[in-house]
Amino acid sequence: MEFIKNFPFFSIVLCMISATISSVLSGKNAKRLSMFVVSAVGIMSALVLYYVVQTGESFVYLMGHHAAPWGNELRVGVLEGLMAFFFSIIMMLSLLGGMKQIFKDISEKKLNLYFIMIDLLLASLLALIYTNDLFNAYVFIEINTLAACGLIMSKQNGRTLVGTMKYMVMSLVGSGLILFGLSVLYGVTGHLLMPNIKESVLALTASGQYRVPVLMTIAMVTVGLAIKSALYPFHNWLPDTYSYGTPTSSALLSSLVSKSYIFLLIKIVYRVVGFDVIAGSGILNIFFVFGLAGMIMGSVRALAQNDIRKMIAYSSVAQIGYIYMGIGLGTKVGMYAAVFHIMSHAASKALLFISSNGLSLASGNGKEFADLRGAGYRNKLAGFGFMVGSLSMVGIPLFAGFISKLNFALGAFESPAKLMPTLLCLAISTLLNAGYFIRAVIVLYTPVAKAEQPENLYKRDYSFIVSVVCFVILNFVLGMFSGPIMEAIRSGLNMFA
Amino acid sequence: MNRNLLLLLPMILPILAGLIVFFAKPMKNRKTRNWFVGSFLILNLLVTALLLCGPAVRVELFDLMKGIPVLFKLDGVGRIYTALLAIMWTFSGFFAFEYMKHEGNEHRYFGFFLVALGALNGVAYAGNLVTFYLCYETMTLVSMPMVLHSLNKEAIKAGFKYLFYSFFGASLGLLGIFYMFQYTTTIEFMGGGTLDLAKLAGHESFFLVIVFLSIIGFGAKAGMFPLHGWLPTAHPVAPAPASAVLSGVIVKAGVVGMIRVVFYIVGADFLRGTWVQTAWMSLALLTVFMGSMLAYKEQVFKKRLAYSTVSQVSYVVFGLSLLNADGVLGGMEHIVFHSFIKNGLFLTAGAIIYKTGKTKVSELKGIGKEMPIAMWCYTICSLALIGIPPTCGFISKWYLAVGSLQSGMTFFSWFGPIVLLVSALLTAGYLLPITINGFFPGADYDYSKLEKKEPNKFMTIPLILLATGSVVLGMFPNAFASFIQTIIETIM
Amino acid sequence: MGTLFTNMEQVVAVILFGIGLCTLLLQKNLIKKIIGFDIMDTAVYLFLTAQGYIDGRKPPIVVDGVQSVEAYINPIPSGLVLTGIVVSVSVSAVMLALTIRLYRKYHTLDLDEIIELSKKEEN
Repeated sequence: MEFIKNFPFFSIVLCMISATISSVLSGKNAKRLSMFVVSAVGIMSALVLYYVVQTGESFVYLMGHHAAPWGNELRVGVLEGLMAFFFSIIMMLSLLGGMKQIFKDISEKKLNLYFIMIDLLLASLLALIYTNDLFNAYVFIEINTLAACGLIMSKQNGRTLVGTMKYMVMSLVGSGLILFGLSVLYGVTGHLLMPNIKESVLALTASGQYRVPVLMTIAMVTVGLAIKSALYPFHNWLPDTYSYGTPTSSALLSSLVSKSYIFLLIKIVYRVVGFDVIAGSGILNIFFVFGLAGMIMGSVRALAQNDIRKMIAYSSVAQIGYIYMGIGLGTKVGMYAAVFHIMSHAASKALLFISSNGLSLASGNGKEFADLRGAGYRNKLAGFGFMVGSLSMVGIPLFAGFISKLNFALGAFESPAKLMPTLLCLAISTLLNAGYFIRAVIVLYTPVAKAEQPENLYKRDYSFIVSVVCFVILNFVLGMFSGPIMEAIRSGLNMFA
Repeated sequence: MNRNLLLLLPMILPILAGLIVFFAKPMKNRKTRNWFVGSFLILNLLVTALLLCGPAVRVELFDLMKGIPVLFKLDGVGRIYTALLAIMWTFSGFFAFEYMKHEGNEHRYFGFFLVALGALNGVAYAGNLVTFYLCYETMTLVSMPMVLHSLNKEAIKAGFKYLFYSFFGASLGLLGIFYMFQYTTTIEFMGGGTLDLAKLAGHESFFLVIVFLSIIGFGAKAGMFPLHGWLPTAHPVAPAPASAVLSGVIVKAGVVGMIRVVFYIVGADFLRGTWVQTAWMSLALLTVFMGSMLAYKEQVFKKRLAYSTVSQVSYVVFGLSLLNADGVLGGMEHIVFHSFIKNGLFLTAGAIIYKTGKTKVSELKGIGKEMPIAMWCYTICSLALIGIPPTCGFISKWYLAVGSLQSGMTFFSWFGPIVLLVSALLTAGYLLPITINGFFPGADYDYSKLEKKEPNKFMTIPLILLATGSVVLGMFPNAFASFIQTIIETIM
Repeated sequence: MGTLFTNMEQVVAVILFGIGLCTLLLQKNLIKKIIGFDIMDTAVYLFLTAQGYIDGRKPPIVVDGVQSVEAYINPIPSGLVLTGIVVSVSVSAVMLALTIRLYRKYHTLDLDEIIELSKKEEN
């Protein structure tokens, strides 16, 4: 059993190694290797999760046996295990669902490069989840950005290149701020490991020294992460990057990449700054306000879109607003809800991206709503998947989205001042979500005459079928049996503190 | 077999049957499908009857979240509503066999028709607000395709309007759910309310706002002012049997929502005498009057009936808002009576559209000569809606007036009955001219062109039964009234 | 004022960081954007090295057998800077590569123009 403690490290290194190996493999073999790596990571993370739940306490893995405060550490608790496991599932399913499209979109010579990026992305995601060292986190943020850029521009047409550029610029602003914040924090506290920093920060706040620099670093790091995870109003880069890539890339970016930054942010909130310090600093209120604004504005923009992928992308802005609102509530339950929404949104949004690809394939590659009329009949499974994803986003009970909303509302009750805005925005955004998602579903199921039907390019694709079915099941599981998951999140967050 | 599981049948069976109608190949054939749907509706009647004869049952399915189970149980209000559903669905379904011939895409209609029945049964049985919300939203989603059945621009617009009003209402309701959840002792519906007054102390005024908002929210479905706008848009474009169930039964889901919130969570005692009661009652009375007035001015037949629904459902709401035994009795009776009557009226309108294609009131001169049976049923239903004894409308309105006079509210105790009376006059004013012009088209009517257009049995038999029902219920109201009395005893 | 002078390196670093950030965000020209990014990162390295530096001590490379801690500056910031340089070099490389691709496609380095041009094309 003790051996399991090595698995987090192994899984990161495994991804790195396979990325290196993939550079000399053919596209097909690189794909096989990637699939193997992702499933191996999934299994290892599951074992890690099982181990941590069994022992009931987190453990720290020393890299190279240098003890704190000098060494580099990984830290594994229930939440980390859960996230790693969940992320690898989402990644697996997204890969499966878009596999055919990847092979279509990317020239054959460069296919292996795509899978290198996948491997690197997984490595950086895992590292961001597990790391206990802030500078390490910074390095992996950059790796994550670069891998994500690779995924976006893999299609290599003008739109994706421009999208990548926009993404790059905003990401660099974000990571620049993070880096600078970290440097100042290092200067003030003299540490890079999270627990040690927290000790110093607590001591500093207690004594009242360096109030401004500490506040500034917190602000810089959090704003940097907020930019990288596309919190409104820093969302400008998002629609372009999510809309034009190959569907797997869009699914991975929206459901994993942006979420990994949010997870890191939560980790920083708890493990670096301390929940009470940050709650006292007023930064959470800023999150709260921008989260609410994002919830509404993202949905309003989504209403105006004609392109199905852009609509989904803008809906991501809204959903990220939800998560920040949950964090901004400044209550424990709000935080649970935010973490749960990370998962439920990942499950629904990836499903939406994958199934919208199936739908546009069935409509002769059309992406506008005008082309998509009746697509639900031409590709029944994709239509069904899209419907499930939409209903979950709208927040119909039995689907994952509703549980998130319920939790957000419960979280709001512990913070009376923020109660009314939260409930109102939840209600309004439910309505707006219903507006654009149900409209899309109706368009999909509007019958069109045989003569007007666009060419159906969709051919039976088993990996797509498996992926959509699994996603649908995942949505239902999150929606109907959220009890144990919430329990895990709760104990995981308690381990953080 | 576990008797409790019987409760799930009226929800699961229709949904399964609906899916079969959607997807099974033989169902593309009209005759097979009609046989299937018809026998299923009868079966549903039997199952419901079996359930109603039995004792109260309760099923807890699984936990949606910790402490929030998906819970179904059968109580008095649920019994009334599910019985109403089974009956109205059967009538409307049989009527639709004939009517939907000219609408096309019948299997889609019947598919959604049956699935909606399942969801509505869920609304009837829901044992807590979260379950209620689940079924309520599902019901909105699956009943919307019935509204936009013809899929032309107007219909889709109307469907959206319906969806938005309902969703907006439901999200207000959801707000209420989230909020009330904090201050109740148990999340389950309990007659008399489950408020934890100790916990609530200090938050009462805000709580009242929330209660009011959720009443408005559920009022959207019930067509209560200010969220009544979808009814007159949705009804004219929906196929007639769909409008019949929509305005006969589905709008009542909103009323059920109000009953659940007011009598099963908040409790009548808590609301009595507060501004919420006054505001609620004013809205109801305003809607009663406004609906009648708009109906009086409306020239499109189905739209006129839609406005009439707006007005009549608010009779029910008014009864509930009185918060005393007689008022609630009148309101609950009117739920059932209005269903019979309005189904009858809409089905007549459907029969006329199906046979002659006429939609305007002014075109209906001499219609009584062409379709005597349908028009006779229409007349009887009209009289019942106006409230002329011995029809059923009289009974419910009587109780409403009595309840209002006994309410002890100085202004409303006499103002309410006056509004009811004025509205009854208006009702006569907008319904009866059609009968009069229908049977007595006047001297310049060309009798030589007259041809019998009586619809066939699928249409006439439901009409006759509905008309008879609305009279018989009025002549023998005691059994039903005493059943409602038992419910009222548990919630007051 | 006095504190500003004693912490001159930090002050310069912050100013440079601001210049870099503005250049990265506000310049339309892609090359200038990249330059801005490099200025920004360099500013952070200056900040870090300035923090690790202790007057009169040597870099922590053992040359003539001096083992005492007091002889050397803090090595960790230097290590961080080295890592950071690797990161920023790779990011700059990717950005430059991307710029070349965009230039070949659109024959301009102005990002606004590129965005306009790209909107016209099929996606």
